[in-house]
Amino acid sequence: MMHSAESQNLKDGEVSTGTTIIAIPFQGGVVVGADSRTSTGSYVAVRTSDKIACLSDHIYACRSGSAADTQALTDYIRYYLQQLKIETGRPARVKSAAHLLQKLVYQNKDNLSAGMIVAGWDPVEGPAIYSIALGGTCLKVPFAFSGSGSLYITGLLDSEFRENMSKEEARALVKKALAHAMARDGSSGGIIRTVAITAEGNDRDYTSELPYGPVSY
Amino acid sequence: MSVMTYNGAAIIAMAGKDCVGIAADRRLGVQLTTIATDFPKIFQMQPKLFVGLAGLGTDVQTLKNLLEFRMNLYKLKEERDMSPKVLSHMLGKILYSKRFGPYFVEPIVAGLDESNKPFLSTMDLIGATSEEKDFVVSGTCTGNMFGMCESLYKPNMEAEELFETLAQALLSSVDRDAVSGWGGIVHIITKEGVLTKELKGRQD
Repeated sequence: MMHSAESQNLKDGEVSTGTTIIAIPFQGGVVVGADSRTSTGSYVAVRTSDKIACLSDHIYACRSGSAADTQALTDYIRYYLQQLKIETGRPARVKSAAHLLQKLVYQNKDNLSAGMIVAGWDPVEGPAIYSIALGGTCLKVPFAFSGSGSLYITGLLDSEFRENMSKEEARALVKKALAHAMARDGSSGGIIRTVAITAEGNDRDYTSELPYGPVSY
Repeated sequence: MSVMTYNGAAIIAMAGKDCVGIAADRRLGVQLTTIATDFPKIFQMQPKLFVGLAGLGTDVQTLKNLLEFRMNLYKLKEERDMSPKVLSHMLGKILYSKRFGPYFVEPIVAGLDESNKPFLSTMDLIGATSEEKDFVVSGTCTGNMFGMCESLYKPNMEAEELFETLAQALLSSVDRDAVSGWGGIVHIITKEGVLTKELKGRQD
């Protein structure tokens, strides 16, 4: 059922990004979004954390699970992508970043607790979103949502997602879904961070407007 | 998750000049999932006597009903109202009577006694009572609440200032706790009557 700090593979005192993370594509790019709460059990250790990690110019990863594990993983991938860029002379593909991450997670599955979304734009495929689950499954998906809070918005996203949205529509949907998840999930909260990734560049923003809550009678 | 943090709660009570205030969050959750944002944890037992119950939701409701029952019996037998000190002692005895299978609740009693002097007390889940002159806290983020109260509290605050202090202390404390918050409610009890206000808090 619900994953508390005790039932995840977290050590005593280890912080978790029990979280909601989302990636939604639009025409020419992807909007990624995340909440900003890092918790140790029920204590909120950091309430303005940044769970959207930059892997390269046009590739970002959203982190959920153990904060330490996901930070270490993104550091490795950032380093590998830099090397790839030097060796091949071309910017890395989203697919490469996702599969590198998959390799790391799968080969260390017994020791890691990391669920991540890799999203971005590359000149070969355009916008792309990959979801990497706990055991190392890597799936290319039309849109992705993950983390403890994502359970509460599966229906919302299934009904509201449309192909070929504009950047503003995609961003609005990301914020709406995150606000709903943060209202219901105790381990998601704080501010809503979003990054819109396009060929021209990236646009980072955050908001602390949380207009939704469970309806009272 | 421990039984005391299963549903989540945050309650603070403070004494002012001829007045007391008691405030609580409004969340009811099942571990990390929020179920309701209007769950009452403070109950008015008499016109100037409030009890706040923090802990397992089912025991909050059961104990509230049990307390009301015992108070009604007392009023019928004694033909007088129960003073805050008596309620506090009675509650302590009720909790200790379940010493080896306790109610998972840590209550707060706040009210004005017969001479309209402020009364505050808190106890642990097996009835160890502690009467205080300044403030008492209970719930899943007591560390946060103690910090806020120690910094913000001043003795002899009037009703308006007491309300502001209570509200700020509660809202800042629950912002650092994943299982409490989602709004708040504050009652300020003066000799004229009770002022109740709802707090708009972060819905996360």
